[in-house]
Amino acid sequence: MQVRQPINKGARRSAREYVVCRQEDLPPGRMVIAPVGKFGVGVYNVHGILYAINNYCPHMGGPLCSGNVYGTNLWDDVRGRAEHVLDGRIARCPWHAWEIDVATGVSVADARKRTRTYDVRVENGEVVLTR
Amino acid sequence: MSTIEVSGSDRTRTKEVDVRWVDADVHPLPHPGDGFLGYAPDGWRDRLAPRGHEISGVSARILDQPEANKAPTGKVDSYSPRGGPACSDPQFAAQQLLVETGMDIGILLPMGRDHRNPDYEHALKTTVNNWLADIWLDQHNQHRRWRGSISVTNREPELAAREIERWAGHPMMVQVLMSPQRPAYAFGDPKLDPIYEAAARHRLPVATHLMANLPYENSIKPVGVGGHFSDYISAWGLILASHLMSLVFDGAFDRHPTLKVVFVEGGFLWVLPLMWRMDAIWEARRSELPWVKRRPSEYVRDQVYFTTQPLDDVDTREEIAFTRWLDMAANLIFATDYPHWTYDDPKWALRRLPKELHPRIQHENATELYGLPQTVPALPGA
Amino acid sequence: MSGLLIDAAVQPFCRDGREIYDYMDEVNRDRGFPDVESQWYQAPGGDYDESLYGKGYPGSDPEIASRHLFEDDGVDVAILNPRTRGNLPDFQLNTAVCSASNRWLAHRWLDEGNPHGRFRGTIRVNPEDVPGSVAEIERWGDHPLMVQVGVPLQSRDLYGRPRFYPIWAAAAEAGLPICISTNGGAGLEYPPTPTGHARTYSQYIAFMAYNYVYHLLNILTEPLFKEVPGAVFVFSDGGAEQLTPFIWKLDTLWLGVRDQTPWVDRPPSEYLKDHVRLGFSRLDKPPGDSVPIVDWLAQTGKEDVVMYASNYPFWWRNHPDDLYEGTTKEQTEKVRWRNAGEVYRGVTAEAA
Ligand code: FES
Repeated sequence: MQVRQPINKGARRSAREYVVCRQEDLPPGRMVIAPVGKFGVGVYNVHGILYAINNYCPHMGGPLCSGNVYGTNLWDDVRGRAEHVLDGRIARCPWHAWEIDVATGVSVADARKRTRTYDVRVENGEVVLTR
Repeated sequence: MSTIEVSGSDRTRTKEVDVRWVDADVHPLPHPGDGFLGYAPDGWRDRLAPRGHEISGVSARILDQPEANKAPTGKVDSYSPRGGPACSDPQFAAQQLLVETGMDIGILLPMGRDHRNPDYEHALKTTVNNWLADIWLDQHNQHRRWRGSISVTNREPELAAREIERWAGHPMMVQVLMSPQRPAYAFGDPKLDPIYEAAARHRLPVATHLMANLPYENSIKPVGVGGHFSDYISAWGLILASHLMSLVFDGAFDRHPTLKVVFVEGGFLWVLPLMWRMDAIWEARRSELPWVKRRPSEYVRDQVYFTTQPLDDVDTREEIAFTRWLDMAANLIFATDYPHWTYDDPKWALRRLPKELHPRIQHENATELYGLPQTVPALPGA
Repeated sequence: MSGLLIDAAVQPFCRDGREIYDYMDEVNRDRGFPDVESQWYQAPGGDYDESLYGKGYPGSDPEIASRHLFEDDGVDVAILNPRTRGNLPDFQLNTAVCSASNRWLAHRWLDEGNPHGRFRGTIRVNPEDVPGSVAEIERWGDHPLMVQVGVPLQSRDLYGRPRFYPIWAAAAEAGLPICISTNGGAGLEYPPTPTGHARTYSQYIAFMAYNYVYHLLNILTEPLFKEVPGAVFVFSDGGAEQLTPFIWKLDTLWLGVRDQTPWVDRPPSEYLKDHVRLGFSRLDKPPGDSVPIVDWLAQTGKEDVVMYASNYPFWWRNHPDDLYEGTTKEQTEKVRWRNAGEVYRGVTAEAA
């Protein structure tokens, strides 16, 4: 199935590096899909910190990054109640709603399930992805 | 998006492709532009829709699927740019499911038209049939890839039988569809005989599928109702298990030896242990069941089909081992459940099904059961 | 020790429907309430093993039952779980009936009828009366031969619901598992199948074995094990053959809706070994060698939760050899006594 998100126009910088966009085009709370690899890579700005994960769900290979972004609910054993945490860091797959932490690529439910992460940084006002 | 219509003048030139995949569970919904209520029988047009939900904009579900707040009817990526609920745009659905996913034929099962009032339910089912036949099976079916289900209410079996007769000659209607949810009768109840007689007369299988967990379609369970989406839906197969027991022990398969029943989206692994138990009970209590002439498992193997979706997301080897023990090559039919969020991707599904069963599950069982063609017109872009 | 055999489901009966009145408290002694027989769905020909008719109420004589279980079948310890009544609308009467059952069991079966010391008992409680249940558990919790708390399978709400936690907490506190099993009598119940009242006894009895699934899935979904970490549930009627298909469904769905139940912080199936047991009888397993029994028992850890259950004196009564043909020595031990020994206090030491 195709990625329905408009693919951001970026530029290849070297064999290993890809310029995703200008820094101001990726404000906090936003995500762009860079046309890197077979499925694209989702680059997220979560409260000012950049993360990048493969747009490929570890479940059935759904377009992970084209779903909604949330926080999640975890049980706090000390307080003995559920807490809403990791706001803006959880990519929810548009197919079966698995929750993936974009900072680690790991599924919230089951740490054995994970998608690939990429290094991403800002350099001279540009968002640069290392593949 | 390119159009996937096969235009009239092109049709003779379009090349045919082999049917390799049949999807036995696709859920179309009316698009706001369809004028759904215009398909209602005389006198019902203004009485059908509960209007409150149209104003509130919120679904009435009492056990919410994930992200129900944002995507109440389908998986998040299945909404058409033309608007409307998921799978309400036949063009977009054909592009996603037939072209991109590679299904050759999709069997359409409209959901969610149960009602507390049986007359009302019958009127709703009639409306659905009129709408499905026009929009999906005629106007947007030049490619002849969609097949329909005749929705009926099993609480008014005589009316349901008449509805089956009304559609029986329609070349694109391939099965009867009825709700398994109470207050429906248990499926083996002799009161349902008119439905089974009509269906068997026209060689139409009778399918059943969860209709919705809306409050008025929900049913009290024997020891209480699940508290969350996950436990409620995980236990769902038990309703079908009970219907299957009723079909066998109440003698429906004896009364209707050519009847075929299709259990859609209710799981199939439970069927193996269910057959063990039914056979054991039958052996122990045969004298009380003179009308059940054969071993219960024989009826199941001869007359019942199960769709594969949703496959379980568990250890693949264990799952395949269980399916091999089940030994039901002739009874399993592939389905995606498009556009719902428990969708099974075909490539992923094949990895979880024993290799030797793939051709039967992918298309052979379905084409035999539904009398489908061996080839269909190729689609542009497929 | 591999020869040990614990029978997790034996039903003791009163000599007749009136005996229980001798044990009713004074306030309730003149009340009327139903007997423990099934009301709507008795087996044509009788609910009990044919051979047990004619010598009084089947299962009502500790001496005869001892002979059948301990001498004929080689059982070492038998867990007695009396049926109480259905869900009586008068909650305090229902609680009083449970209390009477406990006094009767302690007197007739655990004391008088227990010279060999091989019977163990069940504290029956009425889950509709939470404080009454807690008090009853506190009253009997120290009795050395009471090894579990018993509630009816036929409930008006699933047992994972928070309203029941005080009862489960009292049981856990006393070190007792909670046994959920089919109850008799007439009471307030929903129809026994999700498709309504069965038209045949066969469907009734076949489906009743599956109703535990509703409770089990709910117990694994609610915050129960966070609130009552020591709770253990025994489904003594069995139905193990459906455990794998339904636990797989729950594990699968949980991956997508985990955030709705954040207290379930591991795949639900991982709770089974520590918190769940199932009675195991010949109706709960593959017939003959139709599937490889060793693999089947190992799948989703069934071998860690099933316990031999004779279901004496019912017609589907089992004998021990029915059960573990073809299983490994380790699996046989688990079925015969190890799984039971992990949840029932004192049963293995005293039998040895
Ligand atoms: S493909 Fe992503 S959750 Fe299933």
